[in-house]
Amino acid sequence: MATSTPPARGVKAPPTDTASARERSPARSPWLGWGTAACVLVLLALLPSQLYGGQQRLLAGVFMFVALAQAWNVIGGFAGYASFGNVAFFGLGGYTTAVLMVKAGWSFWLALPVAGLIGVGFAVLVGIPAVRLRGHYFAIATLGVAEGTREVVVNLPRLTGGGAGITVPAVGPEATTSYLGNYGFYQAFLVLAGLSTLAVWALARSRFGYALRAIHQNEDGAAAIGINTTRVKVGAFALSGLLTALAGAIYAFQQVSIYPDRLFDVSITVLMVVMAVFGGSGTVFGPVLGAVGLQFLSEWLRTHYTEAHTFIFGAIIVVAIVFLPQGVVSFSRDAWKRRRVSLLETVRTYRL
Amino acid sequence: MTQLTQATVYGLLQGGLFALVAVGFSLVWGVMNVVNLAHGAFVITGAYIAWKLADAASVPPLLGMLAAAACLFAAGYLLQRLLINLIVNAPIWMTLLLTFGLDLLIVNGLVLLFTGDFRSIPTGYATSGLRLGQVRVPYGRLLGFLLAVGLTLALVAFMSRTRMGLAIRATGMDRGAARLMGMRVRHVYAVTFGIAAALAGAAGAILGTVATFNPADAGRYTLQSFVIAVLGGLGNMWGALAGGILLGVVTAWGGQYLSGTLVNAISFGVLVVVLLVRPTGLLGRPYYELRQEA
Amino acid sequence: MSAPVLEIRDLSRRFGGLEALAGVSATVGEGSVLGLIGPNGAGKTTLINLVTGHLAPSGGSVLIDGRDLTGARPWTIAKARVARTFQIIKPFRGMTVRENVSIGAMFGSARTASPRRAAARTDEVLAQVGLTARADATPQELSVAETRRLELGRALAIRPRLLLLDELMAGLRHGEIDAVLELLRSLKAEGVAIVAVEHVMRAIMSISDQVFVLHEGRELTRGNPAEVVADPRVVEAYLGERYARRSREAGRA
Repeated sequence: MATSTPPARGVKAPPTDTASARERSPARSPWLGWGTAACVLVLLALLPSQLYGGQQRLLAGVFMFVALAQAWNVIGGFAGYASFGNVAFFGLGGYTTAVLMVKAGWSFWLALPVAGLIGVGFAVLVGIPAVRLRGHYFAIATLGVAEGTREVVVNLPRLTGGGAGITVPAVGPEATTSYLGNYGFYQAFLVLAGLSTLAVWALARSRFGYALRAIHQNEDGAAAIGINTTRVKVGAFALSGLLTALAGAIYAFQQVSIYPDRLFDVSITVLMVVMAVFGGSGTVFGPVLGAVGLQFLSEWLRTHYTEAHTFIFGAIIVVAIVFLPQGVVSFSRDAWKRRRVSLLETVRTYRL
Repeated sequence: MTQLTQATVYGLLQGGLFALVAVGFSLVWGVMNVVNLAHGAFVITGAYIAWKLADAASVPPLLGMLAAAACLFAAGYLLQRLLINLIVNAPIWMTLLLTFGLDLLIVNGLVLLFTGDFRSIPTGYATSGLRLGQVRVPYGRLLGFLLAVGLTLALVAFMSRTRMGLAIRATGMDRGAARLMGMRVRHVYAVTFGIAAALAGAAGAILGTVATFNPADAGRYTLQSFVIAVLGGLGNMWGALAGGILLGVVTAWGGQYLSGTLVNAISFGVLVVVLLVRPTGLLGRPYYELRQEA
Repeated sequence: MSAPVLEIRDLSRRFGGLEALAGVSATVGEGSVLGLIGPNGAGKTTLINLVTGHLAPSGGSVLIDGRDLTGARPWTIAKARVARTFQIIKPFRGMTVRENVSIGAMFGSARTASPRRAAARTDEVLAQVGLTARADATPQELSVAETRRLELGRALAIRPRLLLLDELMAGLRHGEIDAVLELLRSLKAEGVAIVAVEHVMRAIMSISDQVFVLHEGRELTRGNPAEVVADPRVVEAYLGERYARRSREAGRA
């Protein structure tokens, strides 16, 4: 292993995932990683028997956000295309499920994959023109698409119930699928969170992941060595859309009654971005950390400071962005590597 | 026909105000590459300042507007100088997230201070208006429109004729070069942000006289400013004026013939189409090609 | 005789009212080096961008190995085994030197390359550019000369038939320039066609078979290196009319 020297003074090197470059050549047995992950998952699967309903719902919410943050991570973290409209997939997935279950009498388990397909299809449809935009423009275009999609859903009341929302029959003779209950949804979201993290883990090691990272860091250079940047970016967007739509589908069933303002709420997008970024965008476990940490934080604030919790949450975001923009995972890795914790260094790198 | 004319006039008046809301947002984006998601919050804060002064001290709305502008200039200057300057060199979504956090802070702070009730600023002339033929032109909105256009024109003059205005434009084009020529970029940026906040606050104060407001409106004004800034081209003040009026008129027409929320969908549709066809906006220049980073 | 590796016919590009390139034609055959010189702003990088697909031409055509690839996207051109270096070098920061090179090996060929073949090619290229010892370093840790070699390595990983170099030697020291020239000569011997944009005259003189001079978007002259560099019009274009006149007068005196 070559010895590493810290970047020269005055060189503005934004915190990048350099540490992961070394970690990609595994020095320890991969079984260790797999074994730990398997144990964690088994524990999580068995945990609910020890918890009561409210806690199960809380954790289900955490798992949902893990999936959402990982989905964003693919397009925003790896490809570097910060989408601010992922909630469009969430809402579409949810509404597809609800509409199929209510209007067509489908079972949830049939509606779920369709919701996923709609997510992919919509991502490709929007993605092909959208990935021609860069930076802020892409963010705003996707935001605009999300807002527009909500409006369209609101304005199709015969199909979607319009602004008043739609209710999925969950109990009684009308119900096509029996309600999964707290434990059921806990498991469903856990599986989705696990799959999302697995997908990102596989992505990070694959050719596709390399292509995404190359595009992020030097798109022209990536194109010049043969990477079809349009196809790769749309592919990433499609994966993001798929996972997000599936989350939306499960959420819709869980909530039973859904309405556009909730399913297309822009704060869901921002939350998933914040979680991915604070945990560490472009890393595999960053979004997990971010989702877990921020959801628990949000819940804790909500119970202890009912009135001011959003206010405090905003303050925390501001502080965290200034000191830890590279996210907890990258920060910890760098700190561990260099045996030094310096919050001010990041500030010095980015300040004017 | 008169309905259409009425809607057009209404749209024009409304559009002028939209333009005032958006011009600061566009300026900040064009000069500093900062997309300020808390912009709408500044607008509402201005409204509250004017309202509180009117309510507690019977300050006339016009003075209230000036007070709001002054307070928000100071607040904007400090915010930029002490906070946003810290992440100016960071990847774009950081400024988005930071300003989102700020937005949460400000909006919820307002809720804590003033509750979420709808407020408005009463004026003596609120209900009366002119009559131009069959069309009614309310005084409140007319005054608001005139103030908005006046302030925007004042901004254009400021940017082209004063030293600070030139400094702002130069810094926006090439920060490194501006620095090398002795401009104090941190100060210039802070002034820019302060101006944007001041205009937003003034717009809010005016808006408070013509409509009701509450903290939850903030997001709508921010999103609206996005659309107008993109339509008009980033940093382009005439573009913001044109874009604002265009949006005002289109919204008013839409409101005549379509259900309320579909109009929003249309404005977003327009935004997306414009972005795809002409990312520079209707009047702007290719932004990402022309920037020189420090 | 088979088609030249690169042929550009009447290539032009406008940006609004500005004619960055107008009516430029040239051919480069296998194993030959075309030096592209001209004052700043003459359109040299534009020309490269037009050939590699990063810009679409306003007129004219680009043929690679006889195939008309005018206006094709950069990755299509890359798969046609055309590689380039960039004037402002931005290696993939989050990856090691080895990973930077191997990306080219993974994506550059017309067929998807298996990781094993990509790894073999990567090792070859690292040896060729002399970066084997630094394979596990990250780009920030490299010296200027090493970064240039990395940029070249990334381009070579796709096994190019045509290599376009944009001011690869700028700012390098004598010894470093010689090392790069040696490398380019070995590529030449393998049959790679090279177009090199350079300001370092020594490099152009020693390696080019033909030199092409661009001035204000148009061809000023072309010929072998000795002829071109002695051409008074070229001196004038680079150094300005007054200097050229003064040096002529000084030469006569």
